[in-house]
Parts: sequence; C-alpha cells; structure tokens
Amino acid sequence: MKSLLKRKKFFFRKSDKVKVQREASAVKRYTRSKVGNVFYFLFLGAFGLFSVLPLIYCVTSSFKPLDEIMIFPPRLVVVVRPTFENYLSLPNLLSNLKIPLSRYVSNSLFVSIITTALYVFISTMAAFVLAKGNLKGSKTVFMIIQFALLYTSYTLAVPQYLVFSNLKMIDTYWVYILPYLASTMGVFLMKQYIDGYVPNALMEAAEIDGAGYFRIFFKIIIPIVKPCLLTLTLFGFRDVWSAVPQGTIFSEQLKTLPQVMAQITSGGIARSGSAMAVTVIMMIPPILVYIISQSNVVEAMSSAGIKE
Amino acid sequence: MKKKKHAGVERLKSRYGLMFVTPFIIGLILFFVFPLISSVQYMFSRIRFEPGNTVITWTGLKNIKYVLFEDPHFINNVVKGFSTFAYSFPLILVVSLVMAIILVQDFKGRVLFRGISFMTVIIASGVVIEYVLKYQGADITGAGVETSIMEDMIDVESILTVLGLPTQISKYFQVVLSSIMTVIWNSGIQTLLFISGLQAIPDQMYEVSKVEGATKWEEFWFVTFPMLSKILVLVSAFTVVELFTSKTDRVVSSAYTMMQSQNYHESTAMLWVYFLILGIVIALIYIPFNKYCLKRWE
Repeated sequence: MKSLLKRKKFFFRKSDKVKVQREASAVKRYTRSKVGNVFYFLFLGAFGLFSVLPLIYCVTSSFKPLDEIMIFPPRLVVVVRPTFENYLSLPNLLSNLKIPLSRYVSNSLFVSIITTALYVFISTMAAFVLAKGNLKGSKTVFMIIQFALLYTSYTLAVPQYLVFSNLKMIDTYWVYILPYLASTMGVFLMKQYIDGYVPNALMEAAEIDGAGYFRIFFKIIIPIVKPCLLTLTLFGFRDVWSAVPQGTIFSEQLKTLPQVMAQITSGGIARSGSAMAVTVIMMIPPILVYIISQSNVVEAMSSAGIKE
Repeated sequence: MKKKKHAGVERLKSRYGLMFVTPFIIGLILFFVFPLISSVQYMFSRIRFEPGNTVITWTGLKNIKYVLFEDPHFINNVVKGFSTFAYSFPLILVVSLVMAIILVQDFKGRVLFRGISFMTVIIASGVVIEYVLKYQGADITGAGVETSIMEDMIDVESILTVLGLPTQISKYFQVVLSSIMTVIWNSGIQTLLFISGLQAIPDQMYEVSKVEGATKWEEFWFVTFPMLSKILVLVSAFTVVELFTSKTDRVVSSAYTMMQSQNYHESTAMLWVYFLILGIVIALIYIPFNKYCLKRWE
C-alpha cells in the first residue's frame, strides 16, 4: 500500500523505490527451513570470523610486549601484560631519520585530504558532462576510461616518472596529487550513478526556471549524487592514504606514513611490535571515513552495478 | 539507460560542458594515454637513464624474445598465476554469491555483517592489507605467503605437527587455509555487486515461480541465476582483473622488482606479453560462455 502511494507521485528519488523493493523482497525471501538457517549462519559466522580475526590480532598484538608476541602457539585475543611501549617507541625508532613522526602524519593527512577533495570534485564534474552533455567524443573518452579500469599501474610507473620530470615536479607534493586527476574509477562509478538517478526532466525543469549550468550542477546534481560522492570519498581516501609513489619522492620531509611504515617493518623481528602499531595507526583513518559515510556507501556501490 | 535529447539544455551544455570536463581530460592524457603509448614504445626499445636525459634506442623484438625464451622464471610464473586463478576464481564467485544471497535477506544483525563484509573492502588495499595478510598468513595459515617477520618468528608447520598430523595432510591444510583467507579477503566488492544484482530482480518473477510451484532449488537456477547473468559477467571481469593485476601475482611482482633495478624495457615487455596471454585466455573462456550460456538465458 505504502509503495503504491509512493509510486503515484510524479517524481520520487529512486533510492526510495530501492528501499521499498528491498523491504518487500526481504519479507518474501525470508521463508527458509531450519536447516537452511543453520547453514546460512554457519557460513556467515565463518566469513565474519575470517574477516575480523586479522584485525583483532593486529590490534591486540600492537599492545603486546615483544616476548608475548612470540609465544607459541600465538594467542589471538588475550593480552596478559598490555603495554603502550610499541606506540611510544615509534618516535624513537624514527629518530635516526632526523624527522619527527608528526611530520609524516601531517604529510599523509594533508596529501590525502587535498587529493581526495580534488579527485571527487573533478570526477563528478567530468562524469556529469559525460553522462548528460552531448560533447563530441565523449563516447571515445568513456571507452578509454573502461580500458584504463583494466590496467595495472606498474606498467605506467616509468612513463609517469618522465612526465613528472618534464614538468619539473619530481620531489614535490604534486607527485601525490596529480595522478589522481586521471583516476578513472571515480568517473566510471559517478557516470553510472548519474545515468541511473538523475532524470532529464528534472534538469529541464531547472533550466526552464532559469537555472544556469553551475546552478544545475551545484543545486541539483550534487544533492542527488550525495551517496555516490561519499562512496568516492571513501575509495579515494583509501587509495591515496595507502599510496606509495614510485621513485618520485626523495626528500625525507615529503614522505608519507606508508613509506615510513615500510622502513619500520623492514627492521626485523625486534620491530614487529612497532610494525603492528603502525599498521593499526594506518587502519584508523579509512575506518573513520567509512563510519562517517557508512549508511550511503552500500547503496551507491550497489547502484553502480545495475547498468552495464 | 537511454538519454533523450533536449535542444535547449544541450546548447547550454556544449558551452560549459567542455570547461567541466577539461581538468579530467588533461589528467587522462598526461597520466594515462601518454604513458600508455610510451610504454608500448618501451616494449620495443632499450632505455638508459643518463644524467640529464633519457636515452631510448630501438631494439625491435629483443625484449619480447628475452621474456619468452630466455627469462628463467617467466613461463613458470605464468603457469603459477593461472593455477592460482583456476581455484580462486570459482571460489571467489561462489562465496560472494552465497554471501550476497544471505545479506540481501532480512535478519537480526544484518547491518553488522554488511559492515564486516564491507570492512574487508576498505582495508583490503595497499600497504595495510599486505601487512595484515602477511601476519595473518603466518599466524593461522602459514602457507602461500611471502616471507614476513612473523613467519620468521612462528613456525606454523610445527603447530600442525604438534597436532599429530602427517606432513602431507598438514601441507594440504596450510594451502587450503591460506586460500580461504585470500578468497574471503578478495570477495568484498564482488559481494556488493551481487547484492545490487539481486536487488534489481523484479519481485514478480519470484511470485510467478511460486505460483507455478517451483522449489527453492529450481527458483535459484531458473530465476535468480539467469537474471544475474549480466552482473555475473561484470563480476567475473572484475575478479579476473583483480587477481591478475594485484601485486601478489608473481609476474607482476617480478616485473616490479625488475623495474626497481632499473630494468624498465624488459619489465614493460614482460607485463605486455603477460596481458596479451591473459587477454587470449579470457577470450577463449568468455566467447563460448557467451555463445552457449548467456544467449540461452536471454
């Protein structure tokens, strides 16, 4: 009944429809035998266990003193003598690099935030035009995008280095930021989303009411694609946060956390506690971003697959 | 989804549209199209870095010949890559499909489990996952991972021998466990895509099948599975790409180490040859699949 009422409206957000469908389908498909239930929850339990265990192990180990990490057989959850030593010793480990840890953290945050913001903004703009504009050659561009999705970044490392060196950008922050202008995943996802969720009638109406191009973009497109925006933010942040530039950063004061992390963990057995500590630190920001954008993310990801 | 053409809006768009798309196009040309073209050039030449400039000399098919006939590890690595693919690809597909079918239903704690399955997607990238999985690998599974600090510390084989298992069986256990780990940590995005596909199936289909008296089993094979065929193609393409381009793949990682020792031409040639082989194999699988399965479903 509710869904019928909603369908009578002239225009409604598609997410409402998806929600209604989901409710209906959930009620309908939830008729299983008890054996089926047991099987399902066993499967879920195993899946959950295998996904969560490494994280728990990582977190607990980061609070263990060295002798406890090496206990055989390893304890997963219990920490007998919890200690913050692993975290506190991090600045000392780096003291021979002459740069304090806070510098790396702030570098990482600065680069990630700027890059993510630029990346999301530029891909949304490009996706808007590719989806709704009728520029010549937008089909070709989209073909290139799809091809680029299937391509590994290692092959491009050297030519990209040459581009940077010709632009005189080696050993600057630009090395972190600029490659993400060409990141095609964002444009691809966003174009699919706009294709599916922004009706042409709405843009037309806005145009008749006298809205300009920028107004249409900021007042109509952005609010509608908000779930996808948050998804892109999450994915972008995740990628930038853990990116290690290949051979384009040399000065120590420009390096980010992942690079330092590699240095710490290469220190051998004695450093394994600290390695765990850095791993935990590295995991926190993406998870934070995820929690903030959580409710919207799954919806946007699930809409991306529907259309080919 | 088809677009309607609206003259007024279009005129407006063509003026500003170019402005909106320009930054992305510049990025695409500078950091994808141009590097791609030069990487093809590198495949056929030799690169030397001299102070101040880069010297590129044309050498013809020499690099490709080296990769195919002289490199001691290439063929071996390709075979290994494909054998990993042979067992993890179907496993990833099945696991993520089952997960999606479970998660699309309503039960207590669904939000929690969706969160967990998505958490793997968030963390499973870049440096972090490498360390997490390495540690995990040494801790519970111990097999199938490269050497890590933890592996030096904990001898997993001895855990299994303490349990009193013969070596053959414990080896087998290690391989199985480590591949379970890889499968689960690689099936996050696939699960999401399948969930989206399942949600797009109209409810009427299920009503009809119920009225016709189909069992759950028949319902799955004659309604759910054919309706998922398009998503299935997307997911398989994605999985193939993910499996073959990640750094855990042996060819990619060996090319990476070659690159670090400034051996750019041969590593580029190696990657290109690998992707060509890959493309041929995928086409060989996909074309019959398309012809005999997809066509029948439509």
